[in-house]
Amino acid sequence: MTMLSERQQLSYIAAQAADARLNVELETEGMTLNIGPQHPATHGTLRIIARLDGEQVVWAEPVPGYMHRGYEKLTEVRTFPQVTTLINRIDWLGSFANEVPFILAAEQLMEVEAPPRAQYIRTILFELSRIANVGLFLGDLGVQMGAVTPVFLAFRDREHVLNLIEGATGGRFHPNFDRIGGLKDDLPAGWVAETRQVMKRMRMFCDELEDLLFGNEIFQSRTRNVGVIPADVAKSYGLSGANLRASGVDWDLRRDQALPMAWDKVDFKVWTHPDGDSWARCWVRLQETRESTKIVDQLLDGLPAGPVMAKVPRIIKVPAGEAWVSTENPLGEMGYYVVSKGDLGPFRVKIRSASFNNISIASWVLKGVYVPDIITILASLYFILGDIDR
Amino acid sequence: MDAADAPAALPGDALREGVVERLRADLGAGLIDSHLVPQTDLWVRVSTEAWADAAASLKAQGFDYFCFLSALDWMPSPYGKGEDDPTVEKEPLSTEVVPGVTGGDTRFQVFARVTDVRRHFGVTVKADVPDTLEMPSWIPSFAGANWHERETHEMFGITFAGHPDLRNLYLPGEFEGYPLRKDFPLLSRMIKPWPGIVDVEPMPDAAEEEDGTAEATPEEGGAA
Amino acid sequence: MGLVDRGRLPAPLTKLFNIGRSYSMWVYQWGLACCAIEMGAAFASPRYDVMRLGVIPLPASPRQADFVVVSGTVTDKMAPAVKRLYEQMPEPKYVISMGSCANCGGPYWDSYSVTKGVDQIIPVDIYVPGCPPRPEALLEGVVLLQQRIRHEDMAAKWRGEEYQPLVKNADAGREPVVVGGGPIE
Repeated sequence: MTMLSERQQLSYIAAQAADARLNVELETEGMTLNIGPQHPATHGTLRIIARLDGEQVVWAEPVPGYMHRGYEKLTEVRTFPQVTTLINRIDWLGSFANEVPFILAAEQLMEVEAPPRAQYIRTILFELSRIANVGLFLGDLGVQMGAVTPVFLAFRDREHVLNLIEGATGGRFHPNFDRIGGLKDDLPAGWVAETRQVMKRMRMFCDELEDLLFGNEIFQSRTRNVGVIPADVAKSYGLSGANLRASGVDWDLRRDQALPMAWDKVDFKVWTHPDGDSWARCWVRLQETRESTKIVDQLLDGLPAGPVMAKVPRIIKVPAGEAWVSTENPLGEMGYYVVSKGDLGPFRVKIRSASFNNISIASWVLKGVYVPDIITILASLYFILGDIDR
Repeated sequence: MDAADAPAALPGDALREGVVERLRADLGAGLIDSHLVPQTDLWVRVSTEAWADAAASLKAQGFDYFCFLSALDWMPSPYGKGEDDPTVEKEPLSTEVVPGVTGGDTRFQVFARVTDVRRHFGVTVKADVPDTLEMPSWIPSFAGANWHERETHEMFGITFAGHPDLRNLYLPGEFEGYPLRKDFPLLSRMIKPWPGIVDVEPMPDAAEEEDGTAEATPEEGGAA
Repeated sequence: MGLVDRGRLPAPLTKLFNIGRSYSMWVYQWGLACCAIEMGAAFASPRYDVMRLGVIPLPASPRQADFVVVSGTVTDKMAPAVKRLYEQMPEPKYVISMGSCANCGGPYWDSYSVTKGVDQIIPVDIYVPGCPPRPEALLEGVVLLQQRIRHEDMAAKWRGEEYQPLVKNADAGREPVVVGGGPIE
């Protein structure tokens, strides 16, 4: 990896200062630029209204809601298994990971725990969703800055992970495999061996991308020192996941929370970076993807035998109460606050989605950046519209 | 907050009880109720006037990570789930307001969650919303509450005093009504019953059933 | 092409033009939600490559596109943008509605903010069911669209009428065209 030399850094700063002087001397009028909602660079239908002075953003505001489907209202009229079908589609890339916090919250209210084999398989599928999700992110990262090749590599290698998820659950994404009390089915024969091969492949993919994209001087100069978010601002906005760890906060819900999942049975490193700029966020995600492949390998080594479903009644009525469970999803911290009144379905579900908080910081962080940097910063914050809009 | 600090051990009861004590010291009568599930979670209910002070107190105690803020409507829906057999007459549903954990006196409650990333646990704070539907804003303590309060406003109709820009976040400008209130009906379900109800007509051999022949009974849709 | 707009193009020549048109399409991706990822897999991944069918993805703007694939949930807030971008496309244009959200509202059929099907706003030629449909299903939808174009009566289209097949056989004029219903020829 090449680092920007002192001379390069100084010349970059001098160029920005010269631009600033030029902007003061020229009488530039404000222009309002509307990015989206249909735009190839936004991960879906996000609209950003930016007021510009020349090429610099004076004020920017994201306008969400173009994918608002009313999840919280829809969960109130559905039963618990029907809700699982629906919430897959919130973060539509890391799909299995969406079901897990809701199922864990319902299990917490029912005071039932999934058998160990189910916990391991849930964790494996969770990490596979993370790899698939962040694999696409790494590909999209290039395309947002003009480098088209990584996205083909990403789609190609992501297919292997999707084949695995499809082999186990029946769906490429939106598996709808988690059930209150365990899983729908056991793993098919030969799945474990194939997963090991795919994990080797994904590690190669991470190395390839690190060399191709992260080692590229243009990528580095476009992402370093762009969109710096200090740790206290990040926490007050509720930034989570790799965004928070890239600002130096050492917090990972897999390690720091006791949940009935198998993360406490494996060793993994939590990657942080002190800088808090776009480069740090992208870099932390790359390291985490590689770490996920190692987690999956360890889990496969320790996979216990046994049933995959606990004894739960056929028609599930969750006892009255309130529960909050959140997990370290690919996008950040995703949690469900489930209020139940003892019915077949929940009374109220508050869905805390990671991208909602991640993008709420956009109006703070986009002040004073150049227009191409808007795309870079949003790409590095990484959001999925279904996660913002629910 | 530097990454060199080792993460603290998972908290036990003493930590959560300490939070309640400190809140009681800061808020006095503002702290109305608390509910502690040992080793799992902590709920706290504060008075409406102490809502913003609770945020400041928790932030000072180290809960500087803002998780979310939203509201709860404790009135059960008068429309049910729209999955009932339309040929069978049903009784009107009860709309009695029954609050949840830590109680409550009003139909609406706001609730929020903050987390301490060094001690690795969080607190859920609730407060009653008065009939005027006005609450103080959490923005002075947590800047991230901005979008959450906008969403709560458009979904429930609760205004937050001190919020700089309380407009719709998700819904288009001309949207009428507050969707997450329980008395906001889902029109598609009212116009047409849920298509998943399989058997609404009696089985053709209903006469034989009365003789004692074993027949499969129609099942209500909804189970997995 | 005065013969075409005056409606006096002989049928064999129409068929020739139709074949040429069906194999040189530029598709505008309207990727809204989860189906956009499968559309991306169908169009941009080396495995389910769509270019071998004669269809190129990624036009620079809708004004250069031949048909649009609406994939994902259309919300009431997004609907005016869908209509505006559809009107920006020049004729002849076609629409493939991909996924159950775009077909009929899908799993969000009872939501307060979802348009129950994109055919409430724009006319749809091919429906691809699924949630999400596999990339192969979308490719079959593209192939069905190509077959539909090959059977199309261009004179009728220029006169502004609804879709008319050149030869009145049972399959070519069937409505709606849904993937899974068999080929049109």
